[in-house]
Amino acid sequence: MRTRWVGLTIAAVTGAVLWFAFPKFAIETPAAQAAQSGAYTGPRTADGKPDLNGIWQVLNSAHWDIEAHSPEEGVPGGVGVVEGGDIPYQPSALAKKKENYQNRAKADPLSKCYLPGVPRVTYVPLPFEISQTPKHVVIAYEIAHARRIIYTDGSPHVESLEFWMGDSRGRWEGDTLVVDTIDFTDKTWLDKAGNFHSTALHVVERYTPMGPNHINYEVTLEDSKVYTRPWKMSMVIYRRLEKNLQLLDYDCVSFFWSKWEKTLTRK
Amino acid sequence: MNVGSQRAGTILWSAIAVAVVVLASAVIVAQGTGKEAPASAASTYVPPRTPDGQPDISGMYEPGWINQPMETPSSGKFWKPNNPKGSVGIGPTDFGARDAAEGELPYLKKVRTPMIVDPPDGKVPLLPWAEAKRKEIIDHQDKAQYLDGRVRCLQAGVPRANTPVYYNSYQILQKPGYVVIVYEWNHMTRVIPLDGRPHLDKKVRLPMGDSRGRWEGNTLVVDVTNFNDDTWTLGHGGPGEGQPYDTLTSGHGVVHSPDLHVVERYTPINEHVIRYEARIDDPKTFSRPFTVALDAFVRGKSDHQIFEYACHEGNRDGIFMATGVDIDPGQKAESKKDKK
Repeated sequence: MRTRWVGLTIAAVTGAVLWFAFPKFAIETPAAQAAQSGAYTGPRTADGKPDLNGIWQVLNSAHWDIEAHSPEEGVPGGVGVVEGGDIPYQPSALAKKKENYQNRAKADPLSKCYLPGVPRVTYVPLPFEISQTPKHVVIAYEIAHARRIIYTDGSPHVESLEFWMGDSRGRWEGDTLVVDTIDFTDKTWLDKAGNFHSTALHVVERYTPMGPNHINYEVTLEDSKVYTRPWKMSMVIYRRLEKNLQLLDYDCVSFFWSKWEKTLTRK
Repeated sequence: MNVGSQRAGTILWSAIAVAVVVLASAVIVAQGTGKEAPASAASTYVPPRTPDGQPDISGMYEPGWINQPMETPSSGKFWKPNNPKGSVGIGPTDFGARDAAEGELPYLKKVRTPMIVDPPDGKVPLLPWAEAKRKEIIDHQDKAQYLDGRVRCLQAGVPRANTPVYYNSYQILQKPGYVVIVYEWNHMTRVIPLDGRPHLDKKVRLPMGDSRGRWEGNTLVVDVTNFNDDTWTLGHGGPGEGQPYDTLTSGHGVVHSPDLHVVERYTPINEHVIRYEARIDDPKTFSRPFTVALDAFVRGKSDHQIFEYACHEGNRDGIFMATGVDIDPGQKAESKKDKK
């Protein structure tokens, strides 16, 4: 663990230096400007935090490719959510990413009904539901009934374990929910285009409400084994406002078994 | 978490558990089918209130007694420990680690009467086709299509999700208008609205059904419909008597149709225990509605945390060993490629 933390610290310091050296990475989008103005006037919970309870969804094409990409059949084009445009891969990691891309139809862990990982679970094209208490923020995702329990009680990370969805600990910085997640497997991807990470991934998500129905979602990813520096993606999370809306259950594993049973009757 | 330091405790508690079960079995066999008081018996316990005025049942919970039998065995006699004299274990569903945890749960009642409190004979009132189906399932456990959904990493359904098993624990959260039940087992989550909204359109069918809750005094009542028929109605509880049932659990193969309708009642009977009652109705599968009642939730330690139960992600080897079926042939090709 010690080696890993030293590595992370070096990566973080390097990243911070680069960040200040190249301020173009900190792009001022309208969403970011609104988030920074600190003018949240929406509803609050009994303990005074912005009330994020409810059903939310991202509306973009990051699910297919978080970098900018042209449209293809079945793949909507996208302007990209990676600040600065390109993920700063180390050379060997870039080669691995290209290989993943070639094999993506079968190699994407999501195509096997595996848990999507973080932050990918946020921007798959399915909704998720936030339940918020003073000590926990539980997010139930429609995809694969994935779930995260984000502890906001000051408890520390569990260490030296690997989880598909990582171990998440949160805190409120003003009206921003900051979620720190470590303890990942290296088996999840960041999108369908084969963008990936190692077990050294450290994700910091910042959920900043821009109003009652919009959250500015900014994610910093650092992984000293795969990237040359920490990098950011950002997007808007929209509250789903339809009447009678309810989170359903895209139970991928049951579809897998149904397909498998059909192969039996064919024989 | 401190499994290592609990080894000695495990052995001690196993020995105590054996003694308790031997005594309890003797008493039960002597008394015939003595019943617990029905779960609907009024509780005098008044829980505190949440900021929005709900009875506060939030917190971390461990499962109730995992070896409680589901139904009365066909002979009318309850199963006895596999090895009444020995110290190896007390039955197929007994696990050392679980016993160690129970050592820290003084409010866990080790009940030996069946979970089924109605009908009075303590049996699942299966229609003939469903009884035949149950036998077919139990007789074909070497074939993947008959395997327990748990083994195939499918969700448990309701009320099965609440029957005590050693690999589950629970977190109940409450927010204005909702009760949320977080299950460790296969990362199931139920977000239960309390606002009286109608059930989903009948065309929507889900393994965990569609839950609508309301508070009746200090009892949370949840009406669950819109099921598919992919899940088993019940599961676990102590093993039944006789072959081949005793190699499985007494809930194996109790199927249901999409017409399943469950009414659940969660009653905090003291500050540590939630009594659970479920009335199960499905005229296509059961000859009459029946009711299970058990102390399903026992408050866990204050530092209890729910961990990730990633099931399907690591299930290839298990399914292959049990049935010879490879659920991810691509993985083999990939790992071969990696070796080159």
